[in-house]
Amino acid sequence: MALLKVENVTKRFGGLVAVDNMSFEITHGEMMAIVGPNGAGKTTMFNLINGVFPADEGRMIFEDLDVTTFPAYKRAHLGIGRTFQIPRPFASATVRENIAIGGMFGAAGAEISVDRAMQLADHYIDLIGLREHRDKPAGGLTPTEKKLVEIARALAMKPKLLLMDEAMAGMNPRDIDEMVSFIKEIRDTEGIAIVSMVEHIMRAVAGLAERVIVMHQGALLVDESTQEALSDPRVIEVYLGHPPEETHA
Amino acid sequence: MRPVKEYYPMLPVFLGYGILLGIGIFVPGKWQLISQLAFYCALGQAFNLFMGMTGYVDFGYVAFLGVGTYGMAVSIFYLHDKGLGIGLIAIGLILAAVFSTLLSLAVGAVALRLRGAYFAIATIGVNEGFRFLIEGARIWNGADGIIFSRHLRKAFGREFAMALSTQWADVLVFSVAVLAAALTLIYMRNKVGYALTALREDEDAAKVMGINVTRYKITAFITSAVLAGLLGATAWALKLTYVYPEDVFEIHYTVEAIIIVLLGGAGTLLGPIVGGLIYGISKYYLSIVLPGFQLLIFAPIIIMIIVLFPEGTVGILKKRVFGTPLEKYII
Repeated sequence: MALLKVENVTKRFGGLVAVDNMSFEITHGEMMAIVGPNGAGKTTMFNLINGVFPADEGRMIFEDLDVTTFPAYKRAHLGIGRTFQIPRPFASATVRENIAIGGMFGAAGAEISVDRAMQLADHYIDLIGLREHRDKPAGGLTPTEKKLVEIARALAMKPKLLLMDEAMAGMNPRDIDEMVSFIKEIRDTEGIAIVSMVEHIMRAVAGLAERVIVMHQGALLVDESTQEALSDPRVIEVYLGHPPEETHA
Repeated sequence: MRPVKEYYPMLPVFLGYGILLGIGIFVPGKWQLISQLAFYCALGQAFNLFMGMTGYVDFGYVAFLGVGTYGMAVSIFYLHDKGLGIGLIAIGLILAAVFSTLLSLAVGAVALRLRGAYFAIATIGVNEGFRFLIEGARIWNGADGIIFSRHLRKAFGREFAMALSTQWADVLVFSVAVLAAALTLIYMRNKVGYALTALREDEDAAKVMGINVTRYKITAFITSAVLAGLLGATAWALKLTYVYPEDVFEIHYTVEAIIIVLLGGAGTLLGPIVGGLIYGISKYYLSIVLPGFQLLIFAPIIIMIIVLFPEGTVGILKKRVFGTPLEKYII
């Protein structure tokens, strides 16, 4: 059974078709990447999946439940988590409170008390290695630390599907490798499906995803294994344009 | 409910209001000032519960005090001869709470869909609109107001009526202040407080975290409005024994509430006490030294605070005591 089924989803902003008749499935525990150049519609697709705005057409089925019209907070309760490209921790709250908020209101939120959420937060603080910053306001952290807090906050929600928006944008190669192995570890220990959004198809994608969806001008270009996608001429064309015609002088 | 030690910050609240009350009782000639200070602290405390915790600025806030004042006035004016005894005051408080709840539901349902400046602008019209409604439709005597000192005397006798409006009204104002502080702390320590912090910092991120932001905003809005209603019923209705629409729907009080919350520190528990005292005391003495110039002096002070100390007095203090044993008490 698919975890999430996206069926013929379309989103328009005025005359612009940002997401054009997209259909794909995500299975439990899968590592997938949504790839595409700037403006391909990746962020809109993410926003549609977690309910930031509704789709104009099509349906979305999460674990056999039609969530097409559900607002974002309800989808979070069902188990759809999300991190943002530019981390958005709650600046005045401490690192611990930030992560605890994920636990309190996420998929397991209804049964989790404030104290239990704080314990849960401590667990994830150790996981991301920010113990010494536990009681500091999250607004004062470095961008990479904020990113980690945001991931921990999303994990504390106990999602079944985690959408990660450009988790590695602007990082150096060493940090990228660390982040990739960290995300893999999360998938293995938490058993959640992770969909990463990546603008450039590169080493990160190869490490992060077993399967790749490439979007181009709002539509689905390819949906195949990462190895296939990396050498697919259609994908290369999207990024680099047409190969020059052979000319004979 | 959280463990008792989570509620230690109530100690400085009790201490603060206890000292104020003590000065009022034991220092001759100071009751007038103390009752004014209690009003400002209570106003800040009630307003802070919404503005401080959600970050939304309600410029129509005084309308909740206004309808609360009418709640008490209507109760005494129409029911004074029913032999209800002290129940008359209880009904007045209940009516004040009901009126302010209804108004906050009506305003909240529309305005809370808006954000930031749009919310502020939308609410500016509320108190003006309500005032014109009462005057124009001649509800509750319209612009003639309700004067109920006679009815109060009939119901309770001259002496007790006097005591009600000179002492008990102020004691009730103190009670409203303490109630508002207690509710603020209870909210802070439970899920609702964390939800409000999250939505104050980033409403979209809060939604994605599973927070039903509308529900929590309305919760804070109604709570804050009911406290304002009770404050109007006690500090204005009971104390003055009359109500005129142009007095109680006066935007000036909303501005004072904003100043108090910012002075003390928005979103802190003790801020409104500190802000209320600073504002009340300086206004009192400024009106003696430079009568009529208070606002002229306050305006630049407010601008300076917002630019230099956006966290307010208690916000700064909180940072200072971080890591010390005082940390548990000052929030």
